[in-house]
Amino acid sequence: MKVTVVSRSGREVVKGGLELNDSATAADLQQAIHKRTKKFYPSRQRLTLPLPPGLKEKPVVLHYRKALKSYVEENSDSITVVLKDLGPQVSYRTLFFWEYVGPLFLYPVFYFFPVYRYFGYKGERIIHPGQTYALYYWCFHYFKRIMETFFVHRFSHATSPLSNVFRNCAYYWSFGSYIAYYVNHPLYTPVSDLQMKIGFGFGLLCQISNFYCHVLLRNLRSPDGNGGYQIPRGFLFNIVTCANYTTEIYQWLGFNIATQTVAGYVFLVVATSIMTNWALAKHRRLKKLFDGKDGRPKYPRRWVILPPFL
Amino acid sequence: MAGFLSVLRRLYLSVYNWAVFVGWLQVLVLAVKTLKESGHEQVYSAVERPLQLSQTAAVLETQNHILVSSLVISWSITEIIRYSFFGMKEALGFAPSWLLWLRYSTFLVLYPTGITSEVGLIYIALPYIKNSEKYCIRMPNKWNFSFDYYYAAILALGIYVPGSPHMYGYMLAQRKRALSKSKRE
Repeated sequence: MKVTVVSRSGREVVKGGLELNDSATAADLQQAIHKRTKKFYPSRQRLTLPLPPGLKEKPVVLHYRKALKSYVEENSDSITVVLKDLGPQVSYRTLFFWEYVGPLFLYPVFYFFPVYRYFGYKGERIIHPGQTYALYYWCFHYFKRIMETFFVHRFSHATSPLSNVFRNCAYYWSFGSYIAYYVNHPLYTPVSDLQMKIGFGFGLLCQISNFYCHVLLRNLRSPDGNGGYQIPRGFLFNIVTCANYTTEIYQWLGFNIATQTVAGYVFLVVATSIMTNWALAKHRRLKKLFDGKDGRPKYPRRWVILPPFL
Repeated sequence: MAGFLSVLRRLYLSVYNWAVFVGWLQVLVLAVKTLKESGHEQVYSAVERPLQLSQTAAVLETQNHILVSSLVISWSITEIIRYSFFGMKEALGFAPSWLLWLRYSTFLVLYPTGITSEVGLIYIALPYIKNSEKYCIRMPNKWNFSFDYYYAAILALGIYVPGSPHMYGYMLAQRKRALSKSKRE
């Protein structure tokens, strides 16, 4: 099969095209392109079918396991694919590790070291029990996240653009420092003992639920890493599509009830809006995929992320 | 019902955009007039009212500075063009090609002058901001929150460093797109 590889502007990316055998898959094509152009390792390539100009539809992305033949007419022996360079990629594990390691180590710096001296606060610091519990809670949270990244999560895509490392680290590391600054401040005003216990207790419960949600999600995917989407079931997933985000949001709420800082609540609002966007996309995707036609199950009626609001 | 609402929306947007246009026109005329008759020291007090109506302006000790004039003039020319452009589109359904050209060309000069004025004024105001303690919130308090206007202003200055080339580059790309599109029509 003759394959012509062009860029989105129509320029030929692989001069002279490629010759692959008839049963070749998109993955084979990616390997062949990588052989010709070292820079384009497979995870950096996005291959689509060409779109007629002016059409506003989304292009068809070639699935790596499908045969190239399946994308063209019966009797055709050639195909043209459009290659988009996704830029340098890193594995999701790398991305998540660097995002989470910042908050894990930066927060304790504000607790243990005399940082506030450099902000002009002299003299001894009295550490309230709530601040110590907050340290344990926070570090446990990010330690859990790192463990889940390496041992629990099964990712739908193997990689993410390198630029996301900088963007995401800026987000996590900045907010981590911003919150740590206030919770560990020498002039920190703790909440009542009861409020603190309720906050951390509720938060811990949600963290455990969150872990269970992650385990359930993991078991939806097979270990050979094809990703793919299934209808999540069991535990809170029976009521809400993105129960993992729900428990994560409530977990942060618990932390904020216990520590009461504007910085913490700002973080909660921003994180909630980001997760809500993801949840809406996931819910929509699942509803579209599981439309009840052609033997596919129909996606059940569920809350998206935050019952009773959304 | 839907038709009626969309007409109402267009009417509202037309009136709004033209009103803001008039506000900024006032600011510009007053600013230039005062500049010629009384000098740059008097510009701020002359335009304060209409300026506040068109845009909330921070009360700065630096009201007598020449950069206030350049700021006000840069902003008002930009906004006059922008709001009349929107106003035309809402009211008439299109905007004349010279207005389109102005909208996508004046920024070439006015962005640098406006940004320089903004940055300059913030910089000059820094010692006043630090001493006045205005808008500052200190700890301890129930919500464990603090705000320091002085450091926020320095952060704002920092944002201008990557922000200005980004905005300018974006406008250049927009200009290319808008002016080539109109040429093709």
